[in-house]
Amino acid sequence: MTVEPTIAAHDIQVDLGGQAVLREVDLTAAPGEIVAVIGENGAGKSTLLRCLAGLETPATGRILVLGDPPTDTATFWREVALTGDEPAWYPGLSVQEHLELVTTTHRDGRMDVGAALAAFDLGGRADLHPLTLSTGQRQRVSLATALVRPSRLLLLDEPERGLDTAFRDRLADILREYAVRGGAVVMATHDLGLAEACGARLVRLEAVR
Amino acid sequence: MRRWQDWYTTLLTIAVVLAVVGQPVASLLGDLAHQADPRRVGSGLALVAVAYAGYLALVRMAGPVVLGAADASWRLLSPLPRRTVLGRTARALLVVSVLGGLVLGVALVSVLGAPDLLPLRLTAALVVGLGAGLGGMALGVLGQALPTWDTRLQALIAVTLAAAVLLAVSGSGPGRTLTALPAGLTGALACCAAAVAAFLVRRAWTALDRVPARAILAASARSGRVAQATVTLDPGALTWAVEDNHWRGRALRSRRWPVSGAWTLAWQEARRITRRPVRLAVLAGATALPTLAVNAGLPQVAAALVIAGALIASVSVTSGARRDGDNPALLRMLAVGSRAALAVRALPPALLGACWLGAALWLSGAGAWWSLFGPACGPVLAVGALRMARRRPIDNSMPVIDTPGGAIPTGPLLWALTGVDLALLGCVPAFLALAVRPADPLPLLAAQMVTGLVLLGGYVMFSGRRPA
Repeated sequence: MTVEPTIAAHDIQVDLGGQAVLREVDLTAAPGEIVAVIGENGAGKSTLLRCLAGLETPATGRILVLGDPPTDTATFWREVALTGDEPAWYPGLSVQEHLELVTTTHRDGRMDVGAALAAFDLGGRADLHPLTLSTGQRQRVSLATALVRPSRLLLLDEPERGLDTAFRDRLADILREYAVRGGAVVMATHDLGLAEACGARLVRLEAVR
Repeated sequence: MRRWQDWYTTLLTIAVVLAVVGQPVASLLGDLAHQADPRRVGSGLALVAVAYAGYLALVRMAGPVVLGAADASWRLLSPLPRRTVLGRTARALLVVSVLGGLVLGVALVSVLGAPDLLPLRLTAALVVGLGAGLGGMALGVLGQALPTWDTRLQALIAVTLAAAVLLAVSGSGPGRTLTALPAGLTGALACCAAAVAAFLVRRAWTALDRVPARAILAASARSGRVAQATVTLDPGALTWAVEDNHWRGRALRSRRWPVSGAWTLAWQEARRITRRPVRLAVLAGATALPTLAVNAGLPQVAAALVIAGALIASVSVTSGARRDGDNPALLRMLAVGSRAALAVRALPPALLGACWLGAALWLSGAGAWWSLFGPACGPVLAVGALRMARRRPIDNSMPVIDTPGGAIPTGPLLWALTGVDLALLGCVPAFLALAVRPADPLPLLAAQMVTGLVLLGGYVMFSGRRPA
């Protein structure tokens, strides 16, 4: 019996402002697999992630995520979690309340909020507004919101941004555990150490000249 | 050194200003010679007190001692005497407080009237106004330098607001006393105000040398954001800066969500507003302002206050919609459909707007039936508030229309009207009812309810299609 891939993208081509950003890119990810997209600045890693999230439409090519073309709809986002630039935190809510908001709107959580706070080393910061935290701590809150909720695919754009070395190792453990439970992870990263620690398959993007 | 051309320009400017405003000001001052209606004096003075409390609050919020970015970066942290660095700021504060004081003085004499001895009563009122303006500004400067003075400034704001409440509820009692003040006592009061203001200004001038650099830098950063928001015509950026500053560094008491699913998005607004009790108290207190304006004989001002107040109350609970409009990353993380999110997020502005409007109408003595127009207008207010929250930044590339009255930039105009347009259109049945005052308001009340629900339903249906 063949397992349906979580992501199947073939011959993706994206032009932005008349400039080719992606050319003939193929990418697949199976359930339980971690894929690290690497490449120099401007190689199109973030653009590829946006295409996989349905936020960018490629000029040519075909993308299937969980068997269907990706769309910016609630049904799609119930299965897919995306973290990229820092989100706009809701005013008046603490770190813990942001995480509980995520699990409450999903009516379920992949992990208990208390456990997530501990896993992301945010226990002592639970009652603060995210804007009070440092850049690295806010990145941990951002990653925690993605991992505390149920999903089948994680799209992470430079998850290592602002994180210290010790926490990068812990993040690798968390991502490996996510994959072991059947989830697929696609991350754009510059940190080969993180990719290696996750046991990720590397996909190198070359900048289009 | 000034050249003769500078003097010529200055004198010509003063002459032109005098020629333009001289006649209207003379006419305005002539109109002040009247016998005030004692029944309206209490409400009028209450409005003046609220305006003065607003002035003091603005002074405190602004700093008031601020510097431009270059001076804040270079001259403030240099060994130059602080008073030299802040000289230009001090002059600007003086001008602002004198202008504010003059307006306050004219407002005072306009409320109290001047049945006799107009020059004396006008001079006394202007001196009291100037004393209040200058004294308030001096208190602001002192408060920036020393925490004890800041506490006194806060106490003065609270006392002024309490006085406004007392004046508003005491009916015509104070009116009879205050309109009949002997000229001698009026002069003595003016002398007292001038003496207190002179004392405070002198203390503030001395304290100007000791205002901590960190206080000036913080206030300058705030005013810099105001200036930037004004120059780039993006008031949204300013309100976010204020909101974010409030929560940054604040410890909250995390509580579990009592509801689940998309309903949490409505609860989030309730939680945020209850964590800002002062804002909620100001909103509650503001429901009395239209009544004060009616009692002071200013029905047009009362109507404007009702519309503006109800819309402001609704807008104050749309932060989630605004956040998601600017950056939908969290809404995607929550995986709530944009239509469902919009429908749920219409609840807080509808409820708060309805309560505010209902209370304002009830307080104005319109009667229970008329107060029901508050809840009936709730859905329309929610549509207006959500439309304002989700509007795009100002499009400054839009054309400027030249009219005989001057150039009108359509970008900022359309931005300002977005939201207000539907709120005003949707409340037409309520406006009609309040203007015509039919014997049986029920048909118009029903029309308002139906209009509100249809408008809200249509707005959620069509605007909610916009992807998260």
